[in-house]
Parts: sequence; structure tokens; C-alpha cells
Amino acid sequence: RQRCRADGRALRKLPVHVGLVVTEEEPSYADMASLVVWCMAVGISYVSVYDHNGIFKRNNSRLMDEILKQQQELIGLDCSKYTVEFANQDKTGQVLNCQSTLKVLSPEDGKANIVKAAQNFCQLVAQQQRTHADLDVNVLDNLLSSTNGFPDPDLVLKFGPVDSTLGFLPWHIRLTEIISLPSHLNISYEEFFSALHHYAACEQRWGK
Amino acid sequence: VFQAGPMPKHVAFIMDGNRRYAQKCHVERQQGHSQGFDKLAQTLRWCLNLGIQEVTVYAFSIENFKRSKEEVDGLMDLARQKFSRLLEEQENLKKHGVCIRVLGDLPLLPVDIQELIAQAVLATRNYNKCFLNVCFAYTSRHEISNAVREMAWGVEQGLLEPSDVSESLLDKCLYTNNSPDPDLLIRTSGEVRLSDFLLWQTSHSCLVFQSVLWPEYSFWNLCEAILRFQMNYGALQKARDSYMEERRRQQMERDQDYVTRKLQQEGCASHGDSRRRRTLLQKCTAMREERIQGFLQALEHKRADFFERLCTVSA
Repeated sequence: RQRCRADGRALRKLPVHVGLVVTEEEPSYADMASLVVWCMAVGISYVSVYDHNGIFKRNNSRLMDEILKQQQELIGLDCSKYTVEFANQDKTGQVLNCQSTLKVLSPEDGKANIVKAAQNFCQLVAQQQRTHADLDVNVLDNLLSSTNGFPDPDLVLKFGPVDSTLGFLPWHIRLTEIISLPSHLNISYEEFFSALHHYAACEQRWGK
Repeated sequence: VFQAGPMPKHVAFIMDGNRRYAQKCHVERQQGHSQGFDKLAQTLRWCLNLGIQEVTVYAFSIENFKRSKEEVDGLMDLARQKFSRLLEEQENLKKHGVCIRVLGDLPLLPVDIQELIAQAVLATRNYNKCFLNVCFAYTSRHEISNAVREMAWGVEQGLLEPSDVSESLLDKCLYTNNSPDPDLLIRTSGEVRLSDFLLWQTSHSCLVFQSVLWPEYSFWNLCEAILRFQMNYGALQKARDSYMEERRRQQMERDQDYVTRKLQQEGCASHGDSRRRRTLLQKCTAMREERIQGFLQALEHKRADFFERLCTVSA
């Protein structure tokens, strides 16, 4: 754990929110749990997990069990409570000892969530509580609920052979660095950390 | 000729690296942008020769207004030059059937450029052999917000119900509503981000990041990208199909719920008369379709009006 924290501090910059995107058909709970636990250990505040079939989301408790197990093994936290949020459900867990928050996401948190926000806004317009001119980029951004409390991802680690984000949070990834890794199966800490290192070297000009 | 899969029909480019190229070659930034434009023209010719019918390019982001006045003015001048040039080439455009569209928050631009754009767009609007979409004064978030605003306008005008709002309707309100989603998105210069470009439309596109600087882009670079697309084709097609299937299923569920509520209001048992249910479902779907057609026509008129008004001003 100490080593992970030190590694995190050694990087020129650490992402605040990392999206772990699996494009492989058969996700591995153990390997994903490792990745989540490493993110938290290194000091990344927000972690999201995504696969385009929504498998992790449907089997969320299995993933949680794996994470708890690995936390105890790898880092020796005896109190392994953390806040878990399912997008679209208000299910907050308990407070954390590690200062990280996890979300498990699926395609419904992407375009479908934008559509939901649009419907809600149109409902307000129908009730004459808003006019169409009230809606701008910031207003729409605030209406999106799929990532309540999370900043936009700085970094996506994309696992698997498919060269696509497969519907992962389209709105939120406008400035996200996308680093691809061949597979999440049997992923090593070194591979994971090397990707973070690569991220730390990216220069962002923000359009200027 | 490629055998690893089909050719992409629509390719999008983030033409990044003009300034780094200029630095590398010890020339002015403006030169870098100018070379970048030449490379664009060349790339379009390659695409046409390969049978790629539609190309979308990210020419100027709303974020780029943050650059120095000198650079922004330089880019605007380049735009003036190129759009004027384009208008002089009308015979060629007609001959090759090139339809030019310019996508973005155009009112942000100097009026004279808006006028040039309007002329180019209106002059070529009926050509259909190939399509060039230029994103200018564009960001994806602005585009998506604009689409939502248009749907809200539709509700305000009494053309739409809030429940008509759907993913497919939003698709039709984007600036890109006349184009299929890009099959392939290429970004040059080694950056691995989307920079607020076509975020909605590329959710299932093949993303290819290449380290070459845009003004140095070669035919072989293009081939490499197309090969990557072909290798991804099967997996992407599968993912897209299952996504669309899920979307259809959810829409059907929503419609069934709506019909159930309506039947309950009428006092019929919701499990009852299945013929009544089917009839009601058909009726609701048909009425929604009618509303949507009316709304989309009104939206089309609004957009055509915007360009036509600019042309009468300059006439």
C-alpha cells in the first residue's frame, strides 16, 4: 500500500477520475477488482468500470465481493468500506476509509441518460416552467445524472482488441485521454502503472 | 485493394499537428495551417478514389477562439480564402457532385464568413455523389445541446410531446442529421483524445490514433487506418447491432407501458382485449410519427431559412 501511494506521488500528474473500459466479451471479475484496488491504492479519487454488455453492472455484487477480497489481500485494509454508487439508483453505501469512490456503468449511462435529461427538460418546457432558450451546455451538463458527483474522466484505460469506446459516457469523455491495453486478463500492476505513466506525459492544450 | 473487410463509407478526421509541423520546419504557424489545408484537399481526393463517399473534418473548434487574436484572425482569413476559392470552383463541384455542409454554431463567426458558407452550402445542397462536412465553430457538446434545445422548441411550438424525445429523434436534430455515423475516426499528431468532436456519433466508430503530423499525412497512413477499421468491423457491427436491439426493446417497453396506462384510463382491464391493445399501440405510434415528421420539417425550414437569409443579404 505504501509503495502504491509513493508510486502515485511520483507521477507528474495523477488522473482524478479513471474509466476502466472493457471491450472483451468475457470480463474477469478478479482482474477488474485488481485494477480498481490499484487505482484506489495509487490515490485516484474516482473510478468507473464499464463494459458495453452491462455485465459488471448486472453482477455488481460479485464484483464488489472480489474487490473487498483483493483489498484485504493486497493492501491489508481491515475496514473495507467505501461508497458504491450505481448510476440511476440511489444506493449509497457507507463511508470510506480509502478516499475513493467507485461507479459501475453501462450503456444506459451514456446516450440514454442524455435522452432522459432531454425528456425531463422538455417536460418542464411543456409545463411552461422553462423555455427552450434556457438550455445551454452547462444546463444540460447539470441535468445529467449518470455521473452525479464525479468529475469528467481524465483518463480511460481501454482493455481489449476493439478500437472503440463502445458507448462509454459519450458526453463526458470530450477531453479524456484514451490509453489502450491489449487485455484486462491477467493484467499486471506494472502494465497498469506504465499506462498511468504514459498519461502523465500527455500535454493538453485545451484548444489554445 | 483491401480484402480484410468492407471499405468505410464515412470517415472523420481530426486534422491535428499543423502548428507542431510549422515549428518543426521553422515556418510561421499560418504556413502550417495552409499546408494543412492542402493536405485536406489531397486526402479528399484519396478518399474519393478509394470509394469513400463521405468525409467529415474538424476544422475549427469553439475552443480555438481562445487562441491569440493573431492566430484566430489568420485562420478566419484562411477560411475566407478557401470558401471563396470553393465558390469559384462551382463547375468542378457540380461535375463531381460534391455536397458541402458546414456544421457548427455559425452565428459565432464573422458575418462575411457566414455569407460565404451559406453560398457554398446552398450552391451544392442538391449534389449527392459525395459529401464533405466541415465542422467550423463546432463542439460536440454545443451540437448535442443545440439538438436538445431544438426538441424543446418543438415542444414549445406544440409540434412535439415530451414523450416523443428519444435517441433516434435526437440523432435527427444534430447538425449531422443527414449523414450516417462515421465508420472510422482518425486523429493525427499522436494525441489520444476526442477533443469534443462528434462524441455522440462516434460512440461505436473505429477510433484510430496516428502519430504523424497532419501536414505530413500520407496515402499509406490512410491505408493503415482503413485496415484497422476492417479488422474491427465484425466486433463493431456486433456491438452496434446489440445496442440497437436493446434500444428498440426499451422503446417497445415504453410504448407498452403507455398503452397499458391509456387502457386503464378507459376502464379496460390491462390484460384484456389484445386487439384493442394492438390498435391503440398502432394509433399511438402513427400519431407520434406524424408529430415527428411535422417537427422535422419545421426544423429543416428553420435551417434552410438561416442560410437563405444570409444569401439575400450578400446579394
